[in-house]
Amino acid sequence: MTHPQEVEILLVEDNPSDAELTLRALKQRNLANQVFVCRDGAEALDFFFGDGSHALREIGVVPKVILLDLKLPKVDGLEVLRRLKEEDRTKKIPVVVLTSSREEPDIARAYRLGANSYIVKPVDFEAFARAVSDVGLYWLLLNHPPR
Amino acid sequence: MIRLPWSWSIERKLPLFVSALLLVVVLVMLGAAYQQVRHAALSLAAERVQRLTKVYVDLLQREPTTRRTQMTTLAADPGVREFVTSGGGRGRDWVLAAMRHIAPDTAPNLAIEVWDSAGRRLLLRGDTALRSDAEAAPPSDSVVLSPYRLRHDTLMYFAVQAAVRRGTEGRVIGRVVQIRRINLSKVGRETLAGIAGGDVALLIGNAGGDPWTDLEHVIPAPPAELRTSHQPISYQRGETKFGLAAPIAGTPWMLVTELSRRQMLAPSLAYLRTMAAIAAAVVLIGALGAWWVSHRITTPLNRLTTAAAAIASGDLTQRVDVPGSDELGRLGRSFNDMAGEVQRARSDLEGQVVQRTQALRETNAELEAFSYSVSHDLRAPLRAIHGFARILLEDHGPALDPEAKRVLGVIDQNTKRMGQLIDDLLAFSRLGRKEVDSARVDMTELVRSVADEMRRSAGDRPLEITVGPLPPARGDRDMLRQAVTNLLDNAAKFTRRRTPGRIDVGHNTNGAETVYFVKDNGAGFDQRYAGKLFGVFQRLHRADEFEGTGVGLAIVQRIVLRHGGRVWAEGRPDAGATFFFTLPGASDA
Repeated sequence: MTHPQEVEILLVEDNPSDAELTLRALKQRNLANQVFVCRDGAEALDFFFGDGSHALREIGVVPKVILLDLKLPKVDGLEVLRRLKEEDRTKKIPVVVLTSSREEPDIARAYRLGANSYIVKPVDFEAFARAVSDVGLYWLLLNHPPR
Repeated sequence: MIRLPWSWSIERKLPLFVSALLLVVVLVMLGAAYQQVRHAALSLAAERVQRLTKVYVDLLQREPTTRRTQMTTLAADPGVREFVTSGGGRGRDWVLAAMRHIAPDTAPNLAIEVWDSAGRRLLLRGDTALRSDAEAAPPSDSVVLSPYRLRHDTLMYFAVQAAVRRGTEGRVIGRVVQIRRINLSKVGRETLAGIAGGDVALLIGNAGGDPWTDLEHVIPAPPAELRTSHQPISYQRGETKFGLAAPIAGTPWMLVTELSRRQMLAPSLAYLRTMAAIAAAVVLIGALGAWWVSHRITTPLNRLTTAAAAIASGDLTQRVDVPGSDELGRLGRSFNDMAGEVQRARSDLEGQVVQRTQALRETNAELEAFSYSVSHDLRAPLRAIHGFARILLEDHGPALDPEAKRVLGVIDQNTKRMGQLIDDLLAFSRLGRKEVDSARVDMTELVRSVADEMRRSAGDRPLEITVGPLPPARGDRDMLRQAVTNLLDNAAKFTRRRTPGRIDVGHNTNGAETVYFVKDNGAGFDQRYAGKLFGVFQRLHRADEFEGTGVGLAIVQRIVLRHGGRVWAEGRPDAGATFFFTLPGASDA
C-alpha cells in the first residue's frame, strides 16, 4: 500500500470490484503507484480531518485529485464533498465525482457543492477504463493546481 | 313602435307591465262609462226637449186663441157692422168705444184698423206706419193671424184680422185688424225659460223663415233642417245646440226649444273628469303596488345573484339573508344549504387533495430512491462482470480455448445489453416524473435538425429523409425532440436493408387537429401486433434481426400522452410503417 505522503490520487470507493477496475485502468497508464483507497466516506474524512488515532492521518499530505463515489457507507459522497470544500486546507483539491448515478439532482448537487468534474461510470469496461485513465492523466499531468 | 328592452330588470319591467295593463283597463272602462253616460244624457235631453216643447206650444197657443176671440167679437159687433156698412159715416165713436173695450190700449197693442171690402181704411187708431195686410182679403176663414214682421230691426209684430159680415153668415163687407207686437224683454224671456229651468232657450219665429226671436233680441232663423224635423236634432247656432221645433196651430208661427249641447253634456264631462282622476289614482296605486311587490321579489333575487357570483368566484363562505317562509325564503334557505354542502364538499376535497398529493409525493420519492438504487447498484455488478470478463480475456487469453473465448464474448455482449436496458429504463422512468413545459415549438425546425444529425450519423448508408413544412406545436421542446429522435431512429433502423432507405415526415390536418406522421419504407410490421408496439420492452422483431431494447417507442408514447396527444401506427410486413401522433396546436392555451 502506498505511503500517505506520496499519495497523488485518493480514490473513495466502497465497491472492491469498482476499486480494482479503477486501479487496473490507472495502472495501465502507470498512474496507480500513488493511489490511496478509502472504503467509505468516514475513512475519507478521517484521512483529512481525523483525530490522529487513524493511521492514515498525515498532516500536509495533499493528493492531486480525489476520485469520489457518491453512494458510500457511513458518510455519503456528497457529504464528504461538502466537508472538503468547506475547509480552506482541502478546498483547492480537485474532486472528480466518479459514480454510477446519472440522476440529474445528484449531478446538480455535486456541482453546487464544488465538484470539479462529474463522470458517470460506464458499464462497458473499455469505456470505463478510458474514462478513468483520462481523468488520471488530465488531473495529474495536465492540470496545474494553485500553489 | 317602442321596443321594450327585455334586458331591463324585473324590478322595472313588472311595474311597467302592471301599470300598462291597468292603464288599458281603466281607459277602456272610462271610455265605455263615458259613452253610457253621454248616451243617457242625450236621451234624457231629447225627452226633456220634447216635453218642454209640448208645454210651450200649449202655453203659446193661448195668445192666438185670445186674439181670435177678441177680433171675432169685435167684427160681430152690430156697431162695427153699421160703421162699415155706412162707409165710416155712422157710429165712429161707438166703434172706438167697442175697440177700447175689446182691445185695451196696452203696450203690445200697436194699432187697430177698420177696412171696408173695397180696401179703404175707414178707421185707424194707433201707429200708422205698420203694415196690416188688410188689403189682402182673407179667404173663407173669418180670422187670420199674419206671419211676424219686423220693423226697425227690433220691433216684431203681427196682425190679426177678422172679417166683418152682413148678418151672421152673410157677405164679407169689411175687416177689423189688430196689430200687436211681441214683447221682447229679458224679463219675459227669463219668465218663460224659468218654467223649464235656466238652461233652456225658447225661440219663436215664422215657420217659413225670418224673423225669429229669442224673446230678448231679434235673431236669424234657425236652420231649415230643424224647422222641418219632427225629432230633436243637433245643429249649429253660435255653438252646437240640441233642440226641437214645433208649429203653433192656427198660425204660421213656430217655436223652438233648445238646449246648449255643451251644457247638456257638462255633467257627463264632469263625470268623466272625476272618473279620470280616480283612474289615475288607481293606476298610480297599482304601479306603486307592483313596484313594491317586484322590489320584494327582486331584492332577495339580487342578493342570491350576488352570493352565487361570489361563490362562483371562490368565496364559499357566502350566505344570503332572505327571511320569510314564502318561495323566496325557501329558495334562500335551500341556497344556503347548498352553499354549505358545497363548502363542506370543497373542504373535504381539499383535504383529500392534500392527502393524495402527500401520498403522491411519497410515492414519487420512493420511485426516485428506487431508480437511484437501480441506477447505482444495478450497474456496479454489471460493470464488475464485464470488467472481470475482459480482464480474464486480456490477462489469460492465451490460456483459453476458443469455446471459452466465445463464452466470454457472450458475457460481454449481454452485460452491455443489460447496461443499455438499465439506461433506457431509467430514461423512461425519468420521463414520467419530469414536468412538461408548454412553449411554442417550431416542429419543422426541430425535425430538420434531428434529421440532419441522423444523416450525419448514417455515414455512407443511402438514407433519404424528407421533412415537409410542419405546423408548430405547443409543448416541451426537449421531450418532443426526444420523441422525434426516437421515431427517426426507429425508422432508420428498420430501413437499414433498403437501398435507399426513405423516411418522410409530414402532417395531415384532421379538422382542428394536426396529425404528424413519420413514414418509412422499412421492414414494416404485422398490423395484428400494432398494439404491442408502444409497450415497454415489447419488440416485434428478433434481436438478431434488429437490435434494440423496446423502450424507444414506449418513450415516444409516454411523451405524446403527457402532452395530451395520441400516437398510433400502421404497417404491413415488408411494406414500411407509418407512425402518427397528435400534439396540442401552437394556438392552444
